[in-house]
Amino acid sequence: MKADFTLKPNGDAALDICFSAPPSAALSETIMLLAQAIEAASIPAVSELVPAYQCLTVCFDPLQLAPVGSHGTAHLRRQLAQLTERALSSSRTLPGERFLIRIPVCYEKDFAPDMSALRQHTGLATEEIIQRHTNRHYLVHMLGFTPGFLYLGGLDERLHCPRKSRPELRVPAGSVGIGGAQTGIYPQATPGGWQIIGRTPLALFRPEKTFAFVARPLDYIQFVPISADVFARYVPGAEIERTLIGEVP
Amino acid sequence: MSLRFLRPGLQTSIQDGGRPGMMRWGLCRGGAADTLAMAMANRLLGNPSDHPCIEVTLTGPAIEFTATLSIAVCGAYFDLRLNDKPVANNTVIQVRSGDVLEFGALKSGARGYLALAAEIDLPRSQGSLATHLLAGFGGLEGRALRAGDTLPLRACRRVQVRALPQRYCLDYRARPLIRVVSGADAELFPAEVLNAFYRGEFSVSSQSNRMGIRLSGALLATEGLPQVVSSALCPGTIQVPPGGQPIVSFIEGQTIGGYPRIAHVISADQHRLGQLQANDRLNFERIDTATAHRILQHKLRLLAELEDALQHPHPSPGDTN
Repeated sequence: MKADFTLKPNGDAALDICFSAPPSAALSETIMLLAQAIEAASIPAVSELVPAYQCLTVCFDPLQLAPVGSHGTAHLRRQLAQLTERALSSSRTLPGERFLIRIPVCYEKDFAPDMSALRQHTGLATEEIIQRHTNRHYLVHMLGFTPGFLYLGGLDERLHCPRKSRPELRVPAGSVGIGGAQTGIYPQATPGGWQIIGRTPLALFRPEKTFAFVARPLDYIQFVPISADVFARYVPGAEIERTLIGEVP
Repeated sequence: MSLRFLRPGLQTSIQDGGRPGMMRWGLCRGGAADTLAMAMANRLLGNPSDHPCIEVTLTGPAIEFTATLSIAVCGAYFDLRLNDKPVANNTVIQVRSGDVLEFGALKSGARGYLALAAEIDLPRSQGSLATHLLAGFGGLEGRALRAGDTLPLRACRRVQVRALPQRYCLDYRARPLIRVVSGADAELFPAEVLNAFYRGEFSVSSQSNRMGIRLSGALLATEGLPQVVSSALCPGTIQVPPGGQPIVSFIEGQTIGGYPRIAHVISADQHRLGQLQANDRLNFERIDTATAHRILQHKLRLLAELEDALQHPHPSPGDTN
């Protein structure tokens, strides 16, 4: 993929590799490809890589720069710029398995306090909101915010809905919401401003597992409607329904 | 062999060096809010700097020991009493089974670190014993400690009594000097907003916690600021949300943010954020990145020198063996 990029400091211990292209599946793939290339380069100072929609943040330990100080920072910038140019001109596709992950969601009244707000804003009936919310495959652009939160792309435009003017103090864990052009799931009970239209019984962060998360960047998510009965019977540690996908649907 | 909490204190939790390297999963490093105070308490006992310890916040606990071991408390200054007799901060304290350590009135700072010449015998979660209070995992059942909680210990040892040399004892009474580097989105802010930020005086809001430190005082004008696309939010980053009250992202902060970043607290000064109390006043001084790295190098060198000073102590009147 061809794209312009700039390298910008993000504090005294991180550099942002920012792309001018708008967020897309192709850009997210380039960013993940670049993250793999930086990892493979095993630069001792690099401590974290954080992908986002248009940016890969490279955190580093300033004391591991060679040498410590402005020369070391400049050297790291050059290394990252080279790796980025190479990743952008590469025709490689990202190796590794990708999955379509089905996440059960109950859209019934008790779990959907803001369904009426969504009906009002969109002019759609509840059934159609659920239908439009569940018939998409959402791309996982990145994880972040709180442990296990998925940044998803691909929400039906008819379902876009502004956030609440006053955020709730506490949104229950598993709440599924819409905020602007985004949809997502709150992994923890936190304050939140999204319109809540359902809830999943699935834990999005499972610290007792070696891999504590339900999805990786570039996986796809689909919401599957379930009844309140099925919700009540759901075992939190249950296996997640996932299908290996070769090509991007 | 254990620690038993007779009184829990306001927010007492097990912390260590946290979980570096997991930001991409939404998991910030976490761990001790003041890594320098934790390191000093641990080094007094001959532990690695980020050995699991007890972080005590504002109102401290009362703890009964059912083991014979050495302990040390660094960071915030509390009136410490062992079996009703005063004991000192920044010193190795010898405890025996049945002894009770009480954290009394807080004199300065916000967070004390109780280091133990022992291992806390609990399972690690995602590679660490640090308690992640927001996500509810790590430490003991992922929560702050409560009255009646017992932490099992193993490998308890005694070390020689020694004190932190005076020049390493940090003073939290003075107004903190918090140095920052220019923000990743600084160019989005008009010059008068940047001036207001660097000339203004802020005070710490009582709504601050391990996730973020909210600043009140000089309100920054945010009209007309463009939207930013969400990207990585590193600890120490100062964002300006609509409303104009800056928030410093802290040790248990969110890993992705979407408000414009006006400045970043330098790595070397982030430990000092852990000692801020509500209503503390502070301002920000802008320096360049090369200077920020030199200051970090200097602080780490001091910690290495401390190691030497502790190996070859000058006898002081307070020392008893």
